[in-house]
Amino acid sequence: MASCNECKSFFSLEDDDSMGDCVRRIVDPRQAYYQAKPVEADNDSSNCASFQKK
Amino acid sequence: MATTAKEIKEFEEKQEWWWVAEKTRSSRLDYLRKAVWKKGALGGNYAPGIEIDLEFPELYTETWQENEGDPIMLRKAKSIGNVLENLPIFITDQSQIVGCVGSAPHNIVSYWQGASMINEEIYNEQGILPQPEEKSLERLAALNEYWGGNTALDELAKVLDPEDAVKFMSGAIGWGTPSSAVGYATKDFRHIGKGFENIIEEIDENMERTDKLLRGNPSPDLLPLYDKLPRWEAMQEVLDAAIEYAARYARLARIIAENFETDPKRKEELLRIAETCERVPAQPPRTLQESIQYDHFVQVVVRYETYEGAMPHRPDYLHGPFFDKDVNINKSITRDDALDLLGEHLIRTYEIGIFSPRWTREGLQGITGTWVWTMGGVNEDGTDACNDCTTAYMQVARLVRIANPTFSFRWHPKVKDELMREIFECIRHGLGYPSLRNDPILVENAMYWHGHPLREARQWVTQSCMSPCPPTKYGCQPFRMASATANCAKIVEYTLHNGYDNVVNMQMGPKTGNAVDFKTYDEFFEAWTKQMKWLLNILVRTVALGRAKDPEFFSRPILSAYYERAVETGTDAVDYTNGERGNAWVTAFTWVENADSLAAVKKLIYDDKKYTMAELIEALKNNWDGKEEMRLDFVNNAPKWGNDDDYVDDIMVQCLKTTAAHGKEIKCVCGNNIPILPENVSGNIHYANVVSALPNGRRLGDALYDGGISPGPGLDKKGPTAVLKSCGKIDHVLDGRAFLLNQRLSPTQLAGEKGYQLWKSYVKSWDDLGMDHVQFNMVDDSTLRAAQKDPEKYQEVIVRVAGYSAHFVDISRKTQDNIIQRTVQGLG
Repeated sequence: MASCNECKSFFSLEDDDSMGDCVRRIVDPRQAYYQAKPVEADNDSSNCASFQKK
Repeated sequence: MATTAKEIKEFEEKQEWWWVAEKTRSSRLDYLRKAVWKKGALGGNYAPGIEIDLEFPELYTETWQENEGDPIMLRKAKSIGNVLENLPIFITDQSQIVGCVGSAPHNIVSYWQGASMINEEIYNEQGILPQPEEKSLERLAALNEYWGGNTALDELAKVLDPEDAVKFMSGAIGWGTPSSAVGYATKDFRHIGKGFENIIEEIDENMERTDKLLRGNPSPDLLPLYDKLPRWEAMQEVLDAAIEYAARYARLARIIAENFETDPKRKEELLRIAETCERVPAQPPRTLQESIQYDHFVQVVVRYETYEGAMPHRPDYLHGPFFDKDVNINKSITRDDALDLLGEHLIRTYEIGIFSPRWTREGLQGITGTWVWTMGGVNEDGTDACNDCTTAYMQVARLVRIANPTFSFRWHPKVKDELMREIFECIRHGLGYPSLRNDPILVENAMYWHGHPLREARQWVTQSCMSPCPPTKYGCQPFRMASATANCAKIVEYTLHNGYDNVVNMQMGPKTGNAVDFKTYDEFFEAWTKQMKWLLNILVRTVALGRAKDPEFFSRPILSAYYERAVETGTDAVDYTNGERGNAWVTAFTWVENADSLAAVKKLIYDDKKYTMAELIEALKNNWDGKEEMRLDFVNNAPKWGNDDDYVDDIMVQCLKTTAAHGKEIKCVCGNNIPILPENVSGNIHYANVVSALPNGRRLGDALYDGGISPGPGLDKKGPTAVLKSCGKIDHVLDGRAFLLNQRLSPTQLAGEKGYQLWKSYVKSWDDLGMDHVQFNMVDDSTLRAAQKDPEKYQEVIVRVAGYSAHFVDISRKTQDNIIQRTVQGLG
């Protein structure tokens, strides 16, 4: 099972490596931006379409 | 290919100001302006791609459910905290100011704690659900099932008088929701500017002092203190969460800079964003960027608490000292850098999108809320408060050309000519703003109606579209208008029909007698007065009850933390017992129809006896069908407001003075007076199918007049001076809180220096006549008609609708036509 902390998009918190942000670049019809979504490090990411192994 | 100066000149000559803006703004502003999603409903529908944010209400509801036993303010604070700490955030390429309401740039938000009827509307709204739609419907159904019957408005409905509730919510007599769930509030920026950590410290001290008292000699006086502690805890909770929310942006900016960004200049910007968000809102700002970022966080964070449909604010006053320090004294940034920051401030504000129910969307077409920023004015000591930042906001508004926020300019005799020219340029470029507000008149008005001390009155900001409010410790107004919005054309309608509403088919107003039996105009006017009093009373008492119950049913932890008086007393900001002076008013939509209709009745029924009252009532009941000749007689041969005709102008003044006298009899929850404030947003279109045929010749379905004291479109036939003279017969201090006047001017006539001088003379006459407000549309008919035919080519044409501006292509055809019908005034 792949977990979030194995992904290139995962950035753990400085003071708590069990938590982090999934940071992804998104390009929508009007603009490009980086989005950060809080996730748990051991979150199951098997079904995540954006998963990229570190 | 770069645009040449010659091409720009050609655009200027053709008055295609939107092209001038696009070709002359910085590449950053150009990107950000085009990148931002349009979130105001177009006519009545949201643009393709706009989605309702479901993560926000789910995070909120999750914590709300977990903390059932907490007092409401603490429960709410924890729920908001969960949102601020866990909702996805984003940073747009090239941006320097961060923070948005919602988890993605194309999202709009709503507040499930507010009103079941809005929640249900979202479920049924086409086109705004995230894909897959089926999954979104399941998520919405779960939210609606939990909140159904338990929202703030559901709770309020249980305590309202049933008859009042039915009439209030009928949609016929008034507009608005008597809850903070849908409202707006002044912000106490002097208090907020201390920095959130310092406010937290103040609260700590209050809690320690209270704790000590509670452990001392028991006394019944101490019992209320127990309720204060969880409120203070709630305020601290949301302030901490807001600091954490900013820290999340700092962290994201650093992650992008260190892991993704390759451009060294952008890296530097991202690190500056990080440093800025590590500083504010925890600590007071030191630079222009920090000051704007602080301000933006304050506005964004409070919109995770509730819908704030207005933005009472004075940004040039707030940011002016930092602008001056950075640009003119330290020269740490260039003026162009500063314009980029101010321009993005406008764009980031425009980006905030909040779901509105359909009736609001029809009344506020093309925008999210009436975010009217107040500019200029005077300092507390009466000296000129205009600064270089005021000028810069005017300049950058022409470059970014957004319709929300707009500006309201506090004009006074000491305003420098250079700044007046900048203001005129904004109007000439067709923005429809700033509106002009007569500062000395409105300061005096604030003292007369609400007893605000002079030094506080001089600090006033526009509470929503029009009404001034001092953003001071005891002046701040936490609850919409603390009163109501009245559909005033119903006053004369009910006078004619013995209080019966032929559109909604029920007895609404009091039975003031069959109008056929009124022997004189005075008897008719006496009935009008009774209907007016009834209308104001039912609206005010309903909203007053909603206001009184709001801390119990909805609660405002963030706003409370923003109010010095709430922090000091451990109360909800909306609690009317914490020292608020009171600044209530009743917005009077569709007001001028009364003057024109009463004049028509007086002239053609009582004076000339050309028709009988029975004939008139019959014609009105039949919507003038089969009586076109008679209708045209009432249109053309009865005096109309706005032509300097004492016959009808005296009636207008009589109506206002009678209503003002009642405004001194009725009291808001704070015990202060309630003047009326005649204006429309696009309520004149919204109410077109709600107000029946009237004696001014209007038929059911016709648009109502557009302004608060603007003459009917096309009915002002004697030029702009006559309009001003009519409006000048109103006492703009004693007769009401403010009076909205729309004027259309010719862009051709007002071209060049001569145009500026003509406009300036107009402003002088407006001031000489003691008027408090005027706003201008300066886009010609041919451009507006071309935009109707080919909207894609005219996406950036802006018009002044009423108390707000909108992109012309975003408003309904009926509203577009109504604007085109307004008389173009030739000056000089």
